[in-house]
Amino acid sequence: MQQFTVFMDIESSRSYIDELYSSDAVKVMEALVTLKNSVIGSNRQKSSVISQGVVPRLLQLMSEESLDPNIRLEATITIGSLAKGTPENIESLIEKGTATALVEMLKTVPLGSKLAEAALCALRSIFSHKPAPVDALPADMRLLTRLTQIAREDSQEARTSVIRVLAVWCSGTVEQEALTCAGACSAAAAMLVVPPRSVPSPSRLVPALELLAAMCFKNPNVAQVALNTRHGDKSIPELLMCLVSRDKPLVVALKAAKCLTFLQRAGALPADDSRIVFGALPCLARLCTKENTEDIRASAAEVLAYLTEVDTSLQRLAAISNHLMSSLADIVNCQSAAAKQGAFKCFASLGANDEDIRKMIIETHGLMVHVVNGLNNPDPCVSLAAVRCLHSLSRSVQQLRTTFQDHAVWKPLMQLLNDSPGPELLNVGSSTLCNLLLEFSPAKEPMLDQGAVEMLCNLTKMSDPALRLNGIWALMNMAFQAEQKVKQRILCCLGTEQMFRLLGDSDTRVIMKMLGLLRNLLSTRQHIDAIMSEYSSQVMQAVIVVLEGSYPAEVKEQALCILGNIGDGEKSKDLIMANEDVLRKLVDYLAHPESKLQEAALFVAGNLVWRGEAGAAARQQRLADLGVLRALKLLRASHHAAHLHDKVKTALAQFNEFT
Amino acid sequence: MSFENNSNGNEKEERKYSHERNKSDELQLSRTDMNMLIMNYLVTEGFKEAALKFQQEAGLQEPALCSSLDERIMIREAVQGGRIPEAIAMVNSLHPELLDNDRYLYFHLQQLQLLELIRAGRAEEALAFASATLAEAGANDANALTELERSLALLAFPDPHTSPFADLLLPSHGQKIASELNAAILKMENQEYTNPKLCSLLRMILWSQSELDKHNIKYPKMTDLANATIGQPK
Repeated sequence: MQQFTVFMDIESSRSYIDELYSSDAVKVMEALVTLKNSVIGSNRQKSSVISQGVVPRLLQLMSEESLDPNIRLEATITIGSLAKGTPENIESLIEKGTATALVEMLKTVPLGSKLAEAALCALRSIFSHKPAPVDALPADMRLLTRLTQIAREDSQEARTSVIRVLAVWCSGTVEQEALTCAGACSAAAAMLVVPPRSVPSPSRLVPALELLAAMCFKNPNVAQVALNTRHGDKSIPELLMCLVSRDKPLVVALKAAKCLTFLQRAGALPADDSRIVFGALPCLARLCTKENTEDIRASAAEVLAYLTEVDTSLQRLAAISNHLMSSLADIVNCQSAAAKQGAFKCFASLGANDEDIRKMIIETHGLMVHVVNGLNNPDPCVSLAAVRCLHSLSRSVQQLRTTFQDHAVWKPLMQLLNDSPGPELLNVGSSTLCNLLLEFSPAKEPMLDQGAVEMLCNLTKMSDPALRLNGIWALMNMAFQAEQKVKQRILCCLGTEQMFRLLGDSDTRVIMKMLGLLRNLLSTRQHIDAIMSEYSSQVMQAVIVVLEGSYPAEVKEQALCILGNIGDGEKSKDLIMANEDVLRKLVDYLAHPESKLQEAALFVAGNLVWRGEAGAAARQQRLADLGVLRALKLLRASHHAAHLHDKVKTALAQFNEFT
Repeated sequence: MSFENNSNGNEKEERKYSHERNKSDELQLSRTDMNMLIMNYLVTEGFKEAALKFQQEAGLQEPALCSSLDERIMIREAVQGGRIPEAIAMVNSLHPELLDNDRYLYFHLQQLQLLELIRAGRAEEALAFASATLAEAGANDANALTELERSLALLAFPDPHTSPFADLLLPSHGQKIASELNAAILKMENQEYTNPKLCSLLRMILWSQSELDKHNIKYPKMTDLANATIGQPK
């Protein structure tokens, strides 16, 4: 019989720990039970016995297959108790190979036995530690099949434990595919059934839902399998649909909605599927309301953000809800970073595509203040989410002009972009800036002071084409109707070398925007003359490079338009006129089969021949000599160019009447 | 919209709320339901012998005895008898994770042990025990700390049974912890009802009465739960 002493101190514990090494099985058993009873419930005791080096012996007793199963059981239970201690306790256990030992045990231990259950409980406790020792579980098909068998057949406790372990372990594509092959979907489905007239037990449902979610996340193959997996007469989506209803515990409904969301995003369910439209979406909206706890609301907002991220019909559907905007605004106001992040992301998703929804969001009381606060939030996850929100809203920049000016969103945005931002922030932030620059003439000057031009020019040098595009596009917008000072700054900062590099970019869109930038720079007469006086050779060279190179038609069109703009300048006209090469090309393009190129060439010609300008006669003569007049006449006669006839006639009318 | 204000209307109003005693007698309660409630109470609380006897006398079918009924009975007896280490060892053998998962319950059991030492007048041992084991829970949980302080305060009094915290030494405290432990075991076994349904019924009565009181509605109120005395509506 055991001694029921009142308490153990470290001295007396040493005595029974020694007995663990005895060759007498009875003594070992007694020592194990005493040890077990001393550590259950007390972290202090756990730490004490671990530091006395008891773990390796326990692992031995646990794993040795020839030993009495009762000894193995008590040893495993004791390990399981140690695994419920402090994070340091668990780290010690992991360090000494506990996770690996348990996994090994599970390969051979008879299913349905208490020993298996104890091992699973211990493993589950260890896997609840962060970071979990996922390496201890190899993606071995035999092992996984065994585990999923346990998940289907064993006791409630064992099934729940193994599913919790697998849910944590399933962290990537390899694991997702392996688990699917091993039949984890059907095991999870079996756990999702709630018998009629019984209370759904979250402790049983939640692990299975988490496993399913982890498996389906961004994996179309697995999602397809899950779609078709049935338990009894219900498929997984149907089982999930039952779980999102109002009478289910909130956590269960949330996780079930999350599974349906992942299935939809991975392509297994269409956006108009009734289980999304009448199941997941309303459930998530409902969980965002004020009466729920902050945790639930934060998670619901995050999942809803993911669900509505891409599909406009879902965005519209969610926006119909009469309470969602104010509920989300309230979530933004919560303390925790997770809540703010979830709410901002949700606004970002909802406002991504639809102008009316954006209007609704902007008009939500007090939201813009929250957005600015979010941009200033020290937590990078929150500020990134706020930028995403701003990005969506900035697509209606005309609508927001007053709102944005009032709240000076660009200042914190610039700060974020200047503060060594990560790649995601850089991408979204620069896109946002790009949109904002389209409208904010007044704001441009202070932006210069904040180093906007330098930052954008740097972006054009990045290896990610999306970032280059944002950079050059933003510069293009910045140059639109800008003051000469701004234009000079841009040219100076970007430099002609970079300009040529961008004109040779692998991404056509970048080239287009570079040319667009040139076009914007070369607008209004004084600017054109001022810029061309300094950069004429580089600009002309750039135009020629594009006209001569094998670029698509729309790119060449841009180059011709630039030429046209140059042709509008007072002094700059001469630059074109002096370049015979360009003039000959002009003639060619007037007869080009591609209509838009004809039109662009016509624009150039029209500007060059304009009668009202000084030296027009000389220019007209030169151009006629080179064949421009003939080309224009041909155009006028051509049926294909009917839509250009008015412009052609105007151009021809400029010529003094001489043949 | 107007209502005819005649005497008939008024009578109807009153009849809606006032309730004659014999009307409630008309409510039929099935004997079987009553017996099941009693059986549920006996089984949940662990009165096995009484349950079996009752089953015989009432002619009921085999009661749904949970697998752990015997163990729960023994554990309850150990707790109420002050043999705490024995009780803890039995719980650990039945459900090894229970006390690790519910540290507050573990603390309550340890506290009972402390109270045993105090009751026996072993003050020095009590203090040593408190600092070795209970201090840990007290450090992590504010409620536990308060209860620990109250328990140790008993030592300050020459006769703890007359101190302000004497309630801790009464058997009712031990019973309360025993019930707590019992419910925890049932919960661990995923039993739907960890408390007897009769308890829930009583709670419902109290809640309903308080709701009716809030709205100042006249009804026959059960003023004494233990004797089921129903007073006349005022």
